[in-house]
Amino acid sequence: MANEESMDPRTAEDLLRRFEPVIRFTKGEWFYPMDCEPYVDACGLWVKRPDEDAVCVVPPGELTLERIAQQPDDTTGAVHYLKIPNPKEDENQGRRAGRARRSHTNPDWPKETFRAGRGRLARVGYISRLADALFSLVLLARGRVPGGDVEGGRVLYGRFMEKGERFKYHGHVVRQDGWIVLRYWLFYAFNDWRTNFFGANNHEADWEKIFVYLSESESGEVRPEWVAYAAHEETGDDLRRRWDDPELEKIGEHPVAYVCAGSHATRFSRGEYLTELAFPLPRAFAAIRRILRRFWYVTLRQYAEEGYREKAYEQFTVPFVDYGRGDGLSVGPGQDMEWDPPRLMNPLPSWASGYRGLWGLYTQDPFEGEDAPAGPLYNRDKTISREWFDPVGWAGLDKVPTRSEELEVITGRREEIEERRDLRRSELLEKSSRLKVLGMEAEATRDQSHLSKLHENQTQHIRELSEEVETLRSQLSDDEVLAESLENHADSLRNGERPPARAHIMHAARPVSEAETHAGRVAQLWASISIAVVLVTLILIVAYERQHLLGVLVFTIAMFAFIEASFRRRLSRFIVSVNVGLAIVGALVLLEHYFWQVTVLAVLVVGLYILWENLREFGR
Amino acid sequence: MVGLGVWLYAIIDWSMVVNLSNEPGQVNLQTSDKPTLKKFERAIVFTVYFLGPVILSFLAGLGFVLLRRRGWMLASVAQALIMLACLFFYGASRPWFVYPIIAYCILMILLLNSRSVRAVVHRRPLTPAEARTEIAHGE
Repeated sequence: MANEESMDPRTAEDLLRRFEPVIRFTKGEWFYPMDCEPYVDACGLWVKRPDEDAVCVVPPGELTLERIAQQPDDTTGAVHYLKIPNPKEDENQGRRAGRARRSHTNPDWPKETFRAGRGRLARVGYISRLADALFSLVLLARGRVPGGDVEGGRVLYGRFMEKGERFKYHGHVVRQDGWIVLRYWLFYAFNDWRTNFFGANNHEADWEKIFVYLSESESGEVRPEWVAYAAHEETGDDLRRRWDDPELEKIGEHPVAYVCAGSHATRFSRGEYLTELAFPLPRAFAAIRRILRRFWYVTLRQYAEEGYREKAYEQFTVPFVDYGRGDGLSVGPGQDMEWDPPRLMNPLPSWASGYRGLWGLYTQDPFEGEDAPAGPLYNRDKTISREWFDPVGWAGLDKVPTRSEELEVITGRREEIEERRDLRRSELLEKSSRLKVLGMEAEATRDQSHLSKLHENQTQHIRELSEEVETLRSQLSDDEVLAESLENHADSLRNGERPPARAHIMHAARPVSEAETHAGRVAQLWASISIAVVLVTLILIVAYERQHLLGVLVFTIAMFAFIEASFRRRLSRFIVSVNVGLAIVGALVLLEHYFWQVTVLAVLVVGLYILWENLREFGR
Repeated sequence: MVGLGVWLYAIIDWSMVVNLSNEPGQVNLQTSDKPTLKKFERAIVFTVYFLGPVILSFLAGLGFVLLRRRGWMLASVAQALIMLACLFFYGASRPWFVYPIIAYCILMILLLNSRSVRAVVHRRPLTPAEARTEIAHGE
């Protein structure tokens, strides 16, 4: 972090408040950004050591932010985690829970309840549905957050809100590589995506983030340039939007973010997003799938216009919907609810740097989806997170200079190229004249038997030198083109032109279109029952139709594929696939029956074609 | 294919076939000649397998004139059904006529699936949303 420096608290708070985001939630959201202190005060601190049962090292009510920073009882392999107290263990639980529920139905509180849209399964195919069924089954076996914990989280959060509906973020400002990065860390008491919004996981506590990147002019004036929103584990260029990107909604100087229900993934546009959980396929399956895909898209050129991309690895995906509708509570300047003054993390507080454990239940889920996250600085494995030590690189901004640096960078680069060009020119001049001398020498020694050895050496030397000269000329030409491009780019920047705002985005998450969202109820019903129907039908066929097993299986699978293609409006594509498959089988049948005739015919056709081409050339 | 069907019926020696039914409008055929019976069965199976696809092909022809996309879809379905029928025939008795039909189907599938045909048939106007996206990306 040599190129990183923190900022004085007063300036940091001013900047944070000036650009603080407006956050729009989805109707039915239970948990909103809160201060982490009351949460920690209510939780207990537990430690799970290898091959031992977890033990409570600080009981609920005794824990404070200062105390978790000490991370007591740390040993090799130990996992520290916070745990929301079970409300049933509380003597006054009934009364308190009742009050908590009332706080959620307070007239000032959004009273809307969540209504799921089109079922997520209707948006994907059989394979993903099967994977989803397996995922649900596996969830029973692997570690997960118990259902009662969601209610515990709700009760706990209700108690906080009972004392006053407060909405708070944790702010940290840092300078890195010429950028001033405003980091808004949003803490939620619970991620209830699975329980309340048909999502992939639940976990206690949730740390999400929004980063605003500012550049600073020589006069010290700051200007917002980029914004990055976190969504699940995504990183890189696709996370950020330029300040003038039309997709980035703003209210004054406040960027607007749409937080997805339960998961708290943050998006730039309102809508429903299909989020896919990916599982790598076994190597053999992956290889077969890759070969089939390449044969289909590249060899047969089917749907080549869609652009075939070789995937780094083949995987199963299980679909989940992130509901970022933005039709619920809006928090931010001038909204339904205003932000409280932030909990400032300049200078870095000890609870953030000292506590490397999880902020909620450690379920020991091998996929980690159900384990609570670590704090803003750390990953679950206690290593420092990239968004903390490299907030610029995290959003792919490490290759982008600030606006005030742009011309400086270009000028510096041009000077470098000019210097290099001068060196190369003089080198080229020298080598060219040497080449001429060598050429003359070789001319002089040609066809003289006593000088044949010398002539051979000269020829070899000429060949080598020619290659070097050619390389130098090519490099000089490249440098000239590059210098010219840089000059043009500098001119356009001087004229106030900006490169395309979205050129850096490769795979932007986009909400599912309205047409896709409003599919028929029959399609949804089919999506819900299809996997069960397919499995039962296949079992029945194997049990009762063994005589015609192959034919019936092919027919049944074709029928299911046909129904699915109809519902997903991919009928024409399905028919093309079937036809191409049948054509291949038909061609094999013909080849098997007329092998020699086909061979002779093919040779004849090729021969005639060559003859025709040659005669055409002859006739000209 | 219609010609083939007519030919299959024409080569049957109808003098060897007797109508046993006395009711007007009813047909109950019988023959004691084995080769005739075989030819008759083959003609019937051919009709059962190919009547549907032939009608579909005819509709597809009309569809191409009136409604391009539907016509293409009908033609593709017809080709798939004809090909399937041929493969079933091939699996059962391997009559000589399945081979030319398979060859014809392959050519038709290649034609229907060719880029130029697809470009004409699948051309559709952009939806307003798509049009907006295009403009936004072009900026």
